[in-house]
Amino acid sequence: MFIELRVYTGLEKYLGISHGEKMAVAFDGDTTIRDILGRYNIPAVEVTAALVNGLHKTLDYCLQDGDRVSLFPPVGGG
Amino acid sequence: MVDLSPLQEKRYHRNIQVPCIGVEGQKKLLSSSVLVVGAGGLGSPAAYFLVAAGIGRLGIADGDIVDLSNLQRQILHFTADLGRPKVESAADKLSALNPDCEIVMHPYVITQDNACEVVAQYDLVIDATDNFASRFVLNKACLDTNRPFIHAAVLSMAGRVMTILPHQGACLRCVFREPPSPTAKSTFELGILGTIPGIAACLQATEAIKYLLGQGELLVNRLLIFGGLSMQFETVAVLRDPECPDCGL
Repeated sequence: MFIELRVYTGLEKYLGISHGEKMAVAFDGDTTIRDILGRYNIPAVEVTAALVNGLHKTLDYCLQDGDRVSLFPPVGGG
Repeated sequence: MVDLSPLQEKRYHRNIQVPCIGVEGQKKLLSSSVLVVGAGGLGSPAAYFLVAAGIGRLGIADGDIVDLSNLQRQILHFTADLGRPKVESAADKLSALNPDCEIVMHPYVITQDNACEVVAQYDLVIDATDNFASRFVLNKACLDTNRPFIHAAVLSMAGRVMTILPHQGACLRCVFREPPSPTAKSTFELGILGTIPGIAACLQATEAIKYLLGQGELLVNRLLIFGGLSMQFETVAVLRDPECPDCGL
């Protein structure tokens, strides 16, 4: 099974991809967003929001085949 | 609506020439009101362009004073303004820029206690704050008073913008459910290039004007994210969340 993963605003460095580039990530069985963070050594503190198919999900969400996952770091300045 | 004076026809000529504005659109802008919450990196350029465009009444809310470290990005404030309340410094420049625009100062922090009362005095709210707590208060107040809320946030070399039409599309908490961890790095640690909030604020002002004119496609259910280094702009589709604590069904 695969998800389509996109990361933004500095998280790209953990995946070695560029801004907005999508990445297909294979997984087996019960895998959460947190598991994906672990696989790429993305610190959970650096992810302030995760969207799956456009909807907010916690990091403990169990991924489904074909999910479109977007991860956002804390960006709060003004 | 009152007709434009000859001086206004000249001042707003380049607006009026834009097909989606015209004379009627300019009159709409002159009879509109916008609240800009925050007179810093986002608020300075957003307020500047809105006042230049001829928004009739602009409120500016901020409880802070001008600090030397603000001046590389907060373009409404000058070296001579150090130590002054930001709203006073901002109001001086904005009044001088366009006497058509009434500038209303709110020299205090917008909180849960005063948010709805202040927000309800305006047609639309610009999020030019620098923290999630204030953003969540404003998001809820805009939902409660049915005011459009144009969000932006920036850090280092990146930024994002989203337009929230209450109960019609995703709100801020549909996407960002919790504030970042207290250990998350801020502009103090990671810095911010002054042009980055400038870009985001120009997008916010454009969204505000489009909304007030009823023109174009707004960033509703779309989170625009840009990177200053890659100079890539991308929109991410977002959905209104039935389980959102602020706007959930």
